[in-house]
Amino acid sequence: MAGRWRGGGGGGEVVGSIYSVLALVLILVACVELGDAATAVDVYRLIQYDLSGAPYGSRLAGLNHHAGAAPFAPGADLSRTVVILPVRELNLTFLQEYITSKQPLGGLLFLLPQDIRHKSAGGNKSRNVGLLRSILSELEQLLIHVNLPYPVYFAYEDDKINAVLADVRRGDATGQPATATTGGYKLVVSTPEPRKASSPTITNIQGWLPGLVGDGTTQLPTIAVVASYDTFGAAPALSVGSDSNGSGVVALLEIARLFSRLYSSPKTRGRYNLLFGLTSGGPYNYNGTMKWLRSFDQRLRESIEYAVCLNSVGSWNNELWLHVSKPPENVYIKQVYESFSEVANELGVTVGIKHKKINISNPRVAWEHEQFSRVRVTAVTLSELSVAPELLQSTGGLYDTRHIVDETAIHRSIKLVAESLARHIYGCEGKNIQIFADNSSLAVNPSYVKSWLDLLSRTPRVAPFLSKNDPIISALKKELSDHTDEVHLQHESIDGMFSFYDSTQATLNIYQVASVTFDLLLLLALGSYLILLFSFLVITTRGLDDLINMFRRPPSRKAKAA
Amino acid sequence: MTVFHFFNCAILTFGPHAVYYSATPLSEYDTIGTSVKAAIVYLGTTLVKLICLATFLKVPENDSFDPYQELLKALIGFIDVAGLYFALTQLIHRNISQNHKFQAVGLGWAFADSVLHRLAPLWVGARGLEFTWEYIFQGIEANANLVLNLSLAALGSLMWLRKNKPKTLIPIIYACAGVLATMPSITSYLRRALGWHPPKVVAFELASSLVMAFISWQLFAACQRPSI
Repeated sequence: MAGRWRGGGGGGEVVGSIYSVLALVLILVACVELGDAATAVDVYRLIQYDLSGAPYGSRLAGLNHHAGAAPFAPGADLSRTVVILPVRELNLTFLQEYITSKQPLGGLLFLLPQDIRHKSAGGNKSRNVGLLRSILSELEQLLIHVNLPYPVYFAYEDDKINAVLADVRRGDATGQPATATTGGYKLVVSTPEPRKASSPTITNIQGWLPGLVGDGTTQLPTIAVVASYDTFGAAPALSVGSDSNGSGVVALLEIARLFSRLYSSPKTRGRYNLLFGLTSGGPYNYNGTMKWLRSFDQRLRESIEYAVCLNSVGSWNNELWLHVSKPPENVYIKQVYESFSEVANELGVTVGIKHKKINISNPRVAWEHEQFSRVRVTAVTLSELSVAPELLQSTGGLYDTRHIVDETAIHRSIKLVAESLARHIYGCEGKNIQIFADNSSLAVNPSYVKSWLDLLSRTPRVAPFLSKNDPIISALKKELSDHTDEVHLQHESIDGMFSFYDSTQATLNIYQVASVTFDLLLLLALGSYLILLFSFLVITTRGLDDLINMFRRPPSRKAKAA
Repeated sequence: MTVFHFFNCAILTFGPHAVYYSATPLSEYDTIGTSVKAAIVYLGTTLVKLICLATFLKVPENDSFDPYQELLKALIGFIDVAGLYFALTQLIHRNISQNHKFQAVGLGWAFADSVLHRLAPLWVGARGLEFTWEYIFQGIEANANLVLNLSLAALGSLMWLRKNKPKTLIPIIYACAGVLATMPSITSYLRRALGWHPPKVVAFELASSLVMAFISWQLFAACQRPSI
């Protein structure tokens, strides 16, 4: 007996270590992630920002609720339901009512059609396309101007999610919204809560192409070409802004390329400096442009004869607008407008002029040229938009993707601007000379335009989410440095009015869950199966009497065994 | 309620073994030692099988049915039979009747099979939020497997432990044992080559195990009778 105990003591250590290993294994195994879902979808969150302290957008990121689809029974409690809304069949009035009455909701998931992602081949869908465009812009304007205390996500429609939606609709049609007791689909997004993006930076990129300094050290006049490259939209991870303002950026790069060819040889270099500016902070009252202009020294500012700002030149047919803040009778404005009209007539398009006075006390800056006018530099904005956009409107939203941009429109805009600038620089207004003629060595290069447009249409460019050395900023800087002599980056921070929150993209897991009733029924079935099996085995091997005796337990049995 | 589902599937997979042990006279004769020894022999057999599979089999590029590979797998499956032979004949059992010996060995063998093949997938998979029927089918398969193993153990004990068998029944015994031993290959053939869905395969397994159990029972009872 004692020997056995001593052996047991040594064995106790082994047993102890075995227990600890077992415990470790159990802990590791318990940390295994919950099994993979039936479907995992990329989703993009609605923007969350504060404007002068007032919260806007979707304030939450994590999601863990059952799925539901319209139509709902009136008065249904949706505070623990994620409502899936396909944008194609969206009922905006219902959504508006729901939002303005501030009813609690588990979450919203908007399904965007795949058409806006890929170029649709046929123009026969133009009516649907127009309808979709208006729905999307209305939806966007609704969502970014309200405060939603639940997560709102966008996803692209695909087969899996359509199947889920069809299932949910079928389930809802029976009258029971999905909850924990009835089973259904559960949508889970597990991301950490969004935090404020600390001191977001805006980066302005400028390129300087000096002109031919003749005899005499007089300062050469400068012409500036400016475009803002950042965007703002309801889903910042999807705001690629192909037209607003990807088209402007591409036009600026091509103009820079053409002029760098002209300026490469001293024989053809003009007597004007050219300043190219890619500014950021466009949607926020052209904040970046203002800081860029403030950084100029006075001599440079005074040497700028005029500035041309490009804003959305990618989807027009035959009418462009020149927006000015000085009255059109002003001598300089007249000069600029006439040079543009002359070239426009040759191209077979019209350029109209629109005058909008600046109100200094109003902080709203609708066009980029207004920032120039506020520091007394003559400037115009060339755009296809005829009306000044409101704050956070036409800044590259959900609808503004590659398929609404027409490359030939960009080519025409490039030719228009380049030709009128060149005629002014080389003093050949009125003469019948075409500098950037087609099929010449200075023709507009369509593949250059296409490749840059495609790149910009794949890159979301919301400024607070672009770091100082983001790849797109480096790419733009490198491209400008190829075409110009000196390139500078200027990093600034957005004015205090706006602050943004991170977490723009996540993965949605869709699980099909069984109801609790099902689990209970299964337990009941299994219990009865095991009891039946037990009884069957006892009866066949030991006899029916044994089975009955097992349950009777007469006290005399113990006496019998003893 | 996903741990609930795991619990349900676990009692479906492992419950019958415990019920079998407690319901039949096995528990009265305390044959747990035999079952444990049989489980350990099964572990050793599986390790040997794994090494053979890793050495001789090629990794398939697609999920189709390759006859040569399946033949090789069936041959390696006979190592199972060798292991069972070892457990039945070579291990020292306390004096329990032959009747109970094959039951205890079969039970231990089937229990080890279920634990090794089905516990880990159950733990990892059934606790997730997503609901699938997969683990319930796995549990039903474990039940069928238990019956199959008991039949195989019975026929094995007939083949190797009983010396005086009626001559006419010997080929039938060996044939049935062969069928039982190749049952895994048959099910994988059905699943891969014919593309049967899991419910169909599981139903086939259940039906075939019950049929084979009945046949083995008849054979065993026939061999019990003294040969005239």
